[in-house]
Amino acid sequence: MDHSLPQIADPIPRATPAETGRRPEAPQFTDDPMLDRLYGVTLALVSELAVTRSRLDALERVLARRELVDQDEVEAFVPEPAAADARSRLQAEYLERVLRALE
Amino acid sequence: MSSPSPWHTIGRHDVLPATKHDDRARFDIVAHLNAQIAQTLSPRVKTAYEARARQAFRLRHGRDPVDRHEVAEAMQREPAYRVFSLVRRNTMEIRQHAGRQLVARQAEALRDRAKWANDGARTLQLDPTLEAPRYVSAVDTHLMRGGYTAERMTDDVTNPANYDAGMYATTGGAGGPWNDAAGRALVDWLKREHPQFNPRRIVDLGCGLGHNTLPLRAAFPEADIVAIDVSAPMLRYGHARARSLGVSDVTFMQADATKTPLEDSSSDLVFTTMVLHETSRQALPQIFLESHRLLRAGGLTVHLEQPPYRGLDPFEQFMRDWDGRFNNEPFWSALHESDLPALLVKAGFGAGNVFESRCSALPPSQTVIKNEDFGRAPSWYVVGAWQAAKGIASLG
Repeated sequence: MDHSLPQIADPIPRATPAETGRRPEAPQFTDDPMLDRLYGVTLALVSELAVTRSRLDALERVLARRELVDQDEVEAFVPEPAAADARSRLQAEYLERVLRALE
Repeated sequence: MSSPSPWHTIGRHDVLPATKHDDRARFDIVAHLNAQIAQTLSPRVKTAYEARARQAFRLRHGRDPVDRHEVAEAMQREPAYRVFSLVRRNTMEIRQHAGRQLVARQAEALRDRAKWANDGARTLQLDPTLEAPRYVSAVDTHLMRGGYTAERMTDDVTNPANYDAGMYATTGGAGGPWNDAAGRALVDWLKREHPQFNPRRIVDLGCGLGHNTLPLRAAFPEADIVAIDVSAPMLRYGHARARSLGVSDVTFMQADATKTPLEDSSSDLVFTTMVLHETSRQALPQIFLESHRLLRAGGLTVHLEQPPYRGLDPFEQFMRDWDGRFNNEPFWSALHESDLPALLVKAGFGAGNVFESRCSALPPSQTVIKNEDFGRAPSWYVVGAWQAAKGIASLG
């Protein structure tokens, strides 16, 4: 009997390596550098929330067009392994974007 | 209040990065953030200046600020200016980051498409021995990591691809689907002011990826056009873009605008669009000298830029200086304080042949922008000179 741990097919996906090149020196606009960073994260979140709301809007319109929207199915949704991997990649890229100002 | 054009209305060509829903939505929120900055945050900065900061300066100095430095002193601690700056700077960072992620994941595909389009073309003339001047290679202009010249692999085109796609978000589409408003504005100005002028050889110095070169091609179909830049990636991308748009007779040449390999008195129109502010104190007069060298008698040099600070209200100077302070444009302030007509005279043009003017271009769908986002409206200051017969200009 094989007691070894199951092999993980793929390592946790890494974010797209967008952070290449030199990092420009960031100016400081408030009296506290931590506050500047907080603004940076907050504004990135503002933009990412807008992106997400646009995507939801697109999805709902496409589904409605095809008469496919079923709220219960959405609430009960659990991703397949491949979908979970794709989500994991999205999360990593997402965090790279919203935490950019803290790097 | 004018709304920015959604990103999906950008003009398509074969080397434009492929986008997914979220890429487009991300560029759209950047455009809306910029519109919000121009329509809401920027007017609040002016209100804060007039209502508080100027008064405080008066109390300290017994007079109003007289230049942008004194306005900066008065405004340094104004919350409205700090918030304006935080949001504007972060919007630029978000735009750059969105573009970097977009092109990084398709870097090889973009390279291959550009290579395919450029294959064997004699109109793409790269010079691997050319060393880009430091004012280009050492600056991450507009917060673009690696700047214009970065190459992350052989035949890389990622930075120009990012620049092309993101510019439409930064301007909210104000430059039209092809981001070519400056080129169209120059053509409009030439046709209106000098309808008889019909250049046989046109040189675009600092063409970048050729956004503003192609309108000249359409306007002067008989002319020989040479688009010059120091950046190989920009030229590779620009040449592929032009071919994809059906333009295969513009020469994209890698050379330094201060010392091109073109012959003396070989050209009729030598121009730049929004290039001079990205040069240097040393290079600027050399570019004018080079323009003078290249022009035939009766030829014209024209440069489109943001207006000089001279004669502007100190507060407007201060607002226009934002890019110089916070958007990685190290020569911006010095350029706008330079006396460009005097430099043209110094370069050999007759004082009577030097002129200043204005030009603008609005895309057909665009209504008049109510509150200009300082320095980003499709409207330019024009400075230039006519070439007199050689030997006469120096006497005048």
